[in-house]
Amino acid sequence: MKNLNKTLATLTAAVTVTFASGAVLAAYPEKPINVIVPWGAGGDSDLTTRIWADAVEKELGVPVVVINKTGGGGVVGTSFVARAKNDGYTLINAGLSNMLVTPNFSNTPYNFDTFTPVVKYTSVPLAIVVAKDSPYKTFDDFITGAKSKRVTQGSWGASSSGTIMANIIANQAGYTTKYVHAKSAADSMVSVVGGHIDSALSFPPAFGPHVKADRARALVINQKMDAFPGVPTFADYGIKGSFGGWSGLFAPKGVPQEVIDKLTAATAKAMKDPKVLAAYQNIGALVDFRHGPEWVSDLEETYKIYTDEAARVSKK
Amino acid sequence: MFDNIISGFTSILAVGPILGIIAGVVIGITFGAIPGISAIMAIAIILPMTFYVDPIIGITMLLAVYKAGIYGGSISAILINTPGAAASFLTAQDGHALTKAGKAGKALDMSLFASVSGEMLATLVLILVAAPFSLISLQAGPIEKVFLLLFAFTVIGSMAGESIPRGLLSCCLGMLFAMVGMSSITGAARFTFGYTELMGGFTFTPMLIGILVMPEVFNVIRKRKIPHQEMMITHSPNPADNRISFKEFRSVFSTILKSSGIGTFIGALPGLGSSTAAFIAYGEAKRTSKKPKEYGKGSVEGIAAAESANNAVCGSSMIPMLTLSIPGDDVAALLMGAFLIHGLTPGPMIFFEHTETIYAIFAGFLITDLFLLGIARSGFKFFVKMASLRRYYIFPCVTVFAFTGAFTAGQNMDDILVLIAFTVMGYGMRLVGLNPAVFIIGFILTPFLEQNLDQAMSIVGTDYHLFFASPFSWVFIALSVFFVFSSMRMKQKSASAPLQGKAA
Repeated sequence: MKNLNKTLATLTAAVTVTFASGAVLAAYPEKPINVIVPWGAGGDSDLTTRIWADAVEKELGVPVVVINKTGGGGVVGTSFVARAKNDGYTLINAGLSNMLVTPNFSNTPYNFDTFTPVVKYTSVPLAIVVAKDSPYKTFDDFITGAKSKRVTQGSWGASSSGTIMANIIANQAGYTTKYVHAKSAADSMVSVVGGHIDSALSFPPAFGPHVKADRARALVINQKMDAFPGVPTFADYGIKGSFGGWSGLFAPKGVPQEVIDKLTAATAKAMKDPKVLAAYQNIGALVDFRHGPEWVSDLEETYKIYTDEAARVSKK
Repeated sequence: MFDNIISGFTSILAVGPILGIIAGVVIGITFGAIPGISAIMAIAIILPMTFYVDPIIGITMLLAVYKAGIYGGSISAILINTPGAAASFLTAQDGHALTKAGKAGKALDMSLFASVSGEMLATLVLILVAAPFSLISLQAGPIEKVFLLLFAFTVIGSMAGESIPRGLLSCCLGMLFAMVGMSSITGAARFTFGYTELMGGFTFTPMLIGILVMPEVFNVIRKRKIPHQEMMITHSPNPADNRISFKEFRSVFSTILKSSGIGTFIGALPGLGSSTAAFIAYGEAKRTSKKPKEYGKGSVEGIAAAESANNAVCGSSMIPMLTLSIPGDDVAALLMGAFLIHGLTPGPMIFFEHTETIYAIFAGFLITDLFLLGIARSGFKFFVKMASLRRYYIFPCVTVFAFTGAFTAGQNMDDILVLIAFTVMGYGMRLVGLNPAVFIIGFILTPFLEQNLDQAMSIVGTDYHLFFASPFSWVFIALSVFFVFSSMRMKQKSASAPLQGKAA
């Protein structure tokens, strides 16, 4: 109900703003909108964005074209949009990795302030997963184990979102792991199930099939999920912070407010369409529609956690 | 598995995939028949066009180009004695002799029937063997994969051509270029010299076209003084000379079967390739033939042996590529790149993650053979005409395709610069005798080696003996040593038999 109220408020605001500014500005959008996905076709970010693009196209009345500009851990596509005109016709698929992690841990020609957040459409909670025959039955077992001996953990790159989130978690719980970097969370799962590594950082789309087939066990997850009812959350163990991937949309800084409002309104409508919700469920993404100042300040707070972590790591 | 095959057939028997196969076969035969364009170039040119379609359509189309391209090479070999690929060298000998005797129709028919039979058999073996084999290779973890990749790199020794040092140098160059961009392990930027555009490394498609296709265009410009050869199907007044009778086909059937078997086996071993298969099968057929004297002077049996063996390699070279992610030859390396671009990572997991797609591709393989038979049989004249087009029509078109292909892949102007840079480099590599195909293999395999080596090091920690704890490791170490020795011995042999060495 709260969501509905929020949406209604946005809608009203959007309509008002449209009316108010319509007289001055040519109505946005008047030509196709390009959305750059800095990752490959068929990945989580690509799929969530394509579902969004299909859904808002009808609302906006112009084609919304999804373009994959891959490479450099998302930096290539994101920098491209950072340099683009801020007229609202070039947007970037934003996520944990290219907006919060990489700018803090790698040398990128952009940072969080180069962009204006527009909306977030989905999120995907992080989990720590072990093989079915692993000696670690609970996250407590795991913490004890990792404190006393060398435990390997699958991740996807030393300065990737996975490793950095895991470091923040491990730092709070007081254990350490040895990271084994695979190309993706799905590849790590193969190594866990094959018994080559002790544990892996993973997301529901990657570990879901293995857990359901009883080949793997999720020890702890960022938020409760109906699909995995018995799995406790990081908060249950007193670990602070929110750990997970998300997918949304940013525009280059200085984009007119009218653009943001139009896109938000269209997204709000799309997120009520049962077909869209079903499409997200099919790919294993949790719909998590957020926008506006409260969301932006949450993002800024999380960004700071990563900035602090980067400072902590470089001091070491 | 059989229900998988049946479901594969149901997804391939749709308008899209069938149109893709037909287009692939027509393009493949035409390009293959044009002297100076090989099957691998044809695939590189067509690759960007497949990005816009479903992987099932895209990959089957590329494989159709591959199979038809290998077959198309025999048309120019038979009619004007210019074997497009080394593998058609033997076909050219016997086939052109028949053409001169006015029996071109017979030679073309024989080569078509033999090619299709060879491919069919190899494809059946591929379908039956690949999935069970992948179950075994699935047991391999990062440590075993390091040795597996080490073995894959030894393949280069036998592919390198006349000089092993030059082959190794080409491979190292490929590895070096694969390092450019952000490391997937540490996130550090390597060799980018401050250019964000280089963070993603070199884009595969424009690089590939630059290295493999464009230098050939320059080669043709350089050789423009060589007179144009018109291709003609000679017609004999005696209709029996223009075709293969059922009786003739039956008489060479055992040769075809045996040669296909040899081709399938050789193709499944990484690094030997289609010319080796053709030579071994041809030699074996000659040894056991009732009419060995005819070989080299217009033997139908000889064409049957060489063509069925070299086409069998098409199907079976997919076995190591799909189950172990080892590309057995240059074309397999290119196809591996194509699989990766389409989001299918070759390796044992492909049979579990993309079951439907992979079996649809297998079914497409079999159907391609039938289309190849039908289309080639009914269109000899058309393909001969297409392939006889003047070079100054063909190669400008190739250039246009190369540039548009490089651009459409990522719709990025930087990719055009990549294409131009690698064209220069590819031409330079040819001038100094470096091997472009080996360069591509080095480029494709390096990220896998790096990732697995890093994983293995993290798992092992300081217990280095774990590297040698698994029987898999020992198997691949033994295979690597064996391959290095055998390719060295082959080099010595070919040094004493110069003709064979040059063609192989």
